[in-house]
Amino acid sequence: MKLFEYQAKEAFAAEGIAIPKGVLCTDAEAAARAADELGYPCVVKSQVLRGGRGKAGLIRLVKGHDEAKAYAASLFAGPFDVRSLLVEEAVDIGREIYLAITVDPEAATALVLACAEGGVEIEELARTAPEKILRERVDIDTGLLPYQARNLAYALGFDAEGAKLFVPVLEALWRVFRSKDAELAEINPLFVTKAREGKPSRLIAGDGKLSIDDNAQFRQASSEPERSRFDSDVAFEAAKDGIPYLQFDGDISLMCAGAGLTTVVYDLVNYEGGTVANYLEFGGPNYKKAVRAMELCLKNDPKVILIVTFGTIARADIMADGIAEAIAKLKPRCPIVACIRGTGEEAAVATLKAAGLEPLFDTEEAVRRAVELSRGPASNASGAKL
Amino acid sequence: MSIFIDRSTRVLVQGITGGEGAFWTKHMMDLGTKVVAGVTPGKEGQRVEGVPVYHTVRRAVQEHKADAAMLFVPPRFTKDAVFEALDAGITKIVTIADGIPLHEAVQIRKAAKSCNARVVGGNTSGVISPGLAMMGMFPFWIERVYKPGRIGVMTRSGSLTNEVTAMIVRGGFGVSSLMGVGGDPVPGTRFAEFLPDYQADPDTDAVVIIGELGGTMEEEVAEAMEAGVFKKPLVAFMGGRTAPEGKRMGHAGAIVSGGKGSVADKIAAFERVGALVADRPRMVGELLKQALGIQS
Repeated sequence: MKLFEYQAKEAFAAEGIAIPKGVLCTDAEAAARAADELGYPCVVKSQVLRGGRGKAGLIRLVKGHDEAKAYAASLFAGPFDVRSLLVEEAVDIGREIYLAITVDPEAATALVLACAEGGVEIEELARTAPEKILRERVDIDTGLLPYQARNLAYALGFDAEGAKLFVPVLEALWRVFRSKDAELAEINPLFVTKAREGKPSRLIAGDGKLSIDDNAQFRQASSEPERSRFDSDVAFEAAKDGIPYLQFDGDISLMCAGAGLTTVVYDLVNYEGGTVANYLEFGGPNYKKAVRAMELCLKNDPKVILIVTFGTIARADIMADGIAEAIAKLKPRCPIVACIRGTGEEAAVATLKAAGLEPLFDTEEAVRRAVELSRGPASNASGAKL
Repeated sequence: MSIFIDRSTRVLVQGITGGEGAFWTKHMMDLGTKVVAGVTPGKEGQRVEGVPVYHTVRRAVQEHKADAAMLFVPPRFTKDAVFEALDAGITKIVTIADGIPLHEAVQIRKAAKSCNARVVGGNTSGVISPGLAMMGMFPFWIERVYKPGRIGVMTRSGSLTNEVTAMIVRGGFGVSSLMGVGGDPVPGTRFAEFLPDYQADPDTDAVVIIGELGGTMEEEVAEAMEAGVFKKPLVAFMGGRTAPEGKRMGHAGAIVSGGKGSVADKIAAFERVGALVADRPRMVGELLKQALGIQS
């Protein structure tokens, strides 16, 4: 689960990393008031989970009350589903550094990534200047040792005084990484402020990304899903039910079993020129949830529901029973294409036929059929309103 | 011959008294797998499918000389169970657990490496050599999917494996040994680490890799082929070609991040070393024929 910038910064600050003074606001009035208090210029930052906020115009340095208010209002009214803003003091920046901790799956270690040129996304750095990315592997049990932090500090060009500032920041980020079960803990940019009038420079986290391992949610606080993290109401509902779901805006609702197979069905629909309304998996622990799965699909008003499974534990006969029940209960008006194979498939075929479906056995044929139907006459495309 | 397991492998089942453990123990034995003992703390003295149950792995290994462990243990107890097996000297471990915490997966892989052991999974259906033995959960009774043969299969997925393996069989082939490395970001064993076994296996003529977006395991296979570690024909099928960037497609490991893991990069890596890449599942059989020089 990705956290918002303000939540990442809270976690950083709790371990002793300096962050800019800031206020979280949920309306334009409050944002302008916060900006007044922080003084101008200050920075207004949309709290959304997408990357590239700067380029998308979701962050701006504002110079006065009216600008702050107008910009904040435009963000809340804009297309990016902005629900809160972080208004922050502007920092007197000397240089910017990239710093992150993630895992190295091959080496089976944690991995610190650093770059003397911060502010650029790591994806872009990896593309344009991979040699500039510094790497330090850290044993996950021993933890970050001071020499490793010093290695990076001097490689980043800090002098002895600067290294004394940098080492504790990296040590704090390590504590965040481990204690939060992070997939990624990233400070980009890490500001190095200008030293002036006898005041030494400081290190301040300009931005924060913190992605918590979903598999460790059980031991992390606040694991309840929040609407603001999801692309749509249906995605949010699916998450509450523990059903893997991705929102798209096409014609065909995928109601499939197994992550790998569902991903391939998604590909095949695209190959055939069809479009996907949603990705939904009702395999694994959810294979008895066909009714709920179909209900979620129907909320997208799809032109077709495409069911493809090839289950082992997720038994075909039980999934077919669920589909028959869902059809009886929800009476979908859109056509359903079903290709259900695996454990118990003979019984599944009989059940589907009794429910008025024509069972298919070949994934690609099922996809082609669904794509054809999705282009069919409008009478097929009315869908069911729930 | 097969890789990883055969009829002589002495398998111990951790979590044997649970619903899934008992159910799949029966199927493993039906296929011919030698299941010698089970472990469930607190349940020593019971029997499951005639297999004696012990409190601890140490005791079970002392009594029955098990050399492989099959784990039907929930994700949050998997680290403990894997370490218990490693500590008892077991060097082949398969865990199906879907949801092992990431940092613990790192610890598991690190420990396995330090013990010269192999942990397969989590988030996998396991390992099967059709007609011989399995550790895991495969519907081997469906002949059109799990027919014995001479094609090695490595996969990150479960249901997709049924789909693609059926296409291997439809192409006129069968499966020698199938290794499900699993769909997690940090699997215990990586694709490339099985290549020397497939290269050495006289009963494997070619290998099919069922990969997907995310991570660098497919690229590592291409590197190993370039280095001459694996010289047999290889056919790859990749899921997630059209997946949008930044979305996690089902499996925890199936996401492009940090500029790494796109299917386009993986296909380019395979093609550079002469592996054949299938666009669609049904092409896998055709490409195998092509790779093995068989007229269709």
